[in-house]
Amino acid sequence: MSHTLKPPKRKSSAKGIGAIDIDDDEGHDLMGASGQGYSWEEEYKRSWDILQEDEQGSLQGVVASIQQQLKRRRLHRDTATVQRGIIRHLYLVIDLSRAMAELDLKPSRIECTMRLAEEFIGEYFDQNPLSQLGIIITRDGLAEQLTELTGNPTDHTSALQKRSNREPKGEPSLQNALELARTSLAHVPSHGSREILVLYASLTTCDPDNILDTLESLKRECIRVSMVGLSAEVQVCRTICRETKGTYNVVLNEMHYKDILFENIPPPVATAQRTASLIQMGFPTTRTYEEPTLCACHHKLIRKGYVCPRCSSTVCEIPTDCPVCSLTLVSSPLLARSYHHLFPVENYKEIGWAGVLSTMPKHCFSCLVPFHGPPQSMSHRRLSTAGNTGGGTAIGIGSGRFECPKCKEQFCLECDAYVHDVLHNCPGCVNR
Amino acid sequence: MTSEESINLLAVVIDTNPIAWATAAQDSRCPLDFGRVLEQLLIFINAHLALRFDNELVVIASHTNQSLFLYPPQLSDTDQPPDASSKPANTYKQFFDVNQAVIKTLKDLITESKSPEDVDDKSMLAGSLSLAQTYINRIRRANDPTPLQSRILILSVSPDLPSQYVATMNCIFAAQRVGTRIDVCRFRGKHYGEESVFLPQACHLTGGLYMEIPEAENLLQYLLYAFLPDPYMRSVLCLPEKDQVDFRAACFCHKTVVDVGYVCSVCLSIFCSVSKQCPTCQTQFGGQ
Ligand SMILES: [Zn+2]
Ligand SMILES: [Zn+2]
Ligand SMILES: [Zn+2]
Ligand SMILES: [Zn+2]
Ligand SMILES: [Zn+2]
Ligand SMILES: [Zn+2]
Repeated sequence: MSHTLKPPKRKSSAKGIGAIDIDDDEGHDLMGASGQGYSWEEEYKRSWDILQEDEQGSLQGVVASIQQQLKRRRLHRDTATVQRGIIRHLYLVIDLSRAMAELDLKPSRIECTMRLAEEFIGEYFDQNPLSQLGIIITRDGLAEQLTELTGNPTDHTSALQKRSNREPKGEPSLQNALELARTSLAHVPSHGSREILVLYASLTTCDPDNILDTLESLKRECIRVSMVGLSAEVQVCRTICRETKGTYNVVLNEMHYKDILFENIPPPVATAQRTASLIQMGFPTTRTYEEPTLCACHHKLIRKGYVCPRCSSTVCEIPTDCPVCSLTLVSSPLLARSYHHLFPVENYKEIGWAGVLSTMPKHCFSCLVPFHGPPQSMSHRRLSTAGNTGGGTAIGIGSGRFECPKCKEQFCLECDAYVHDVLHNCPGCVNR
Repeated sequence: MTSEESINLLAVVIDTNPIAWATAAQDSRCPLDFGRVLEQLLIFINAHLALRFDNELVVIASHTNQSLFLYPPQLSDTDQPPDASSKPANTYKQFFDVNQAVIKTLKDLITESKSPEDVDDKSMLAGSLSLAQTYINRIRRANDPTPLQSRILILSVSPDLPSQYVATMNCIFAAQRVGTRIDVCRFRGKHYGEESVFLPQACHLTGGLYMEIPEAENLLQYLLYAFLPDPYMRSVLCLPEKDQVDFRAACFCHKTVVDVGYVCSVCLSIFCSVSKQCPTCQTQFGGQ
């Protein structure tokens, strides 16, 4: 246990300071749409309440919640061209205290957290290919480092899959976990971001010292702390996140948990204090060997590898640091993978029924799905009946046409979501 | 899951850049005839449709100033439905519809093209790939939860367009993410179809097949034997592989290829030498 920090001396409770100051300014639209509230408020999970057949027997409720989900994602997109810290160093801190064993999230808090954490890690490396991540857990008043900062997703996911790392017990120590992350982040190069993301289930923390001292050092070292609360809002967590310019959210239910966790995937806006620098990087060429050879990184026999342009040693995968001369080895597509953060597609504007002209295209520009005609008499008919003509796109909510402010082409809701979430090209703009 | 249960979607992107095809047609060694290529391609498309009743298809033309859906036909008020009476009695309806739609839209596209002087020598490859992928996404969602096997076949003669680099790479990553393979069938002669950098990367990253066709006369053989089989079949076939993929990068300042470069930590632009300020994002670099 060489990574373990000092044992707790004092037990401080954060609950008393104002624990039930629930932050739900984002929750309203979701609650209104699907009728779901905080998971812990519900004694029984009455999922059938969400499904509501209308008189024609279609499942409006489900459709509406999917629509709402898409809309929510649209609203959350931030397309301002800003400098972002693309090279990130993030510690994922997971609370493994008794509070994690609660069953208000399905199947349990711990199962839900571990599954989402694995998804998060995959997605994090997909979107931040030059970044690193490490995992810290806290239980029994101690903090333990599961993985060091590395750029290899499988190291982290296999650590999370180990059974012994999934057993919640004792009290968490927020301070120990933050201190451990802080000392480990002290050595990262100054051009990268320093971030801590805490998944916190408990309402209390069991700390050896005053946690506000830790907050001061975090601020001094420009470490950004974001937290996801699983129970209710805790004052000390809110303070830490606010002071370090991070975000703090409390989950409503499983779907909302995923949403707020995944909001931490796009690189955060760069803070002014970070010094920018030019990093020397090598672009290796692939090479195929007649006879198997040993890779410099794992000493495995390989037939195909990447050759370091500086020292000509062979490694089996990139990105990595050359184990011999420590040059950062990357490929040009890997760098290109981050460019969409720098050149985001502008948000499309929804066109109201009043703005729809008969000369406008009859179908989505990029997938040819036909747009709906306007409802015959919009004021008299209820939204639910207007939706019956629908084949899948926006029902009853708006015209279902979304216009790119640059190229003025019109797209359907599905394409809008796909273009902004996956493709990162406006199909109209790249065609001119 | 086996390929039996999934729906098979083929997206074909045809490079219709008239300048590139005109150059290729006049090539002394191995002239390339667009009409011949199109004939063989249509046979290949029909073969794809014939393999299974529910195979899906989309054909997109990558032209100089736009990308256009050739199939499925776009809805518009002025068009009347294709004349069913002109269909030969012993032709399968779907083959006839596809062939008619592709040929008719291509003819329209070529006749409405501008005069040769103001046509740019470029092909909207990134645009066509974007359209192909949004269409694939629509079909995928429409068939949910049945899995969709999708792939894009690019028939290409035009040179790479560096200005489309970021857009093309975005398309490649999107394809990689949803498991769409990109196959490239590239025509190469003495004076056309120079070495492409983007397209082999597209194939390498998405697990597709990159092939250079030396003679278009037997294009159909390549199409039927190499590009028609599904991924499972391909794993047991012995197909040519491009062994060297170039992952080196071109510096943003001189467009020369570097193997050790300097990367701006803010915008990830690549440079061949050290400077005080990033020319792309204007960031000042602090001292070491
Ligand atoms: Zn290795
Ligand atoms: Zn080296
Ligand atoms: Zn669409
Ligand atoms: Zn646009
Ligand atoms: Zn240069
Ligand atoms: Zn820069």
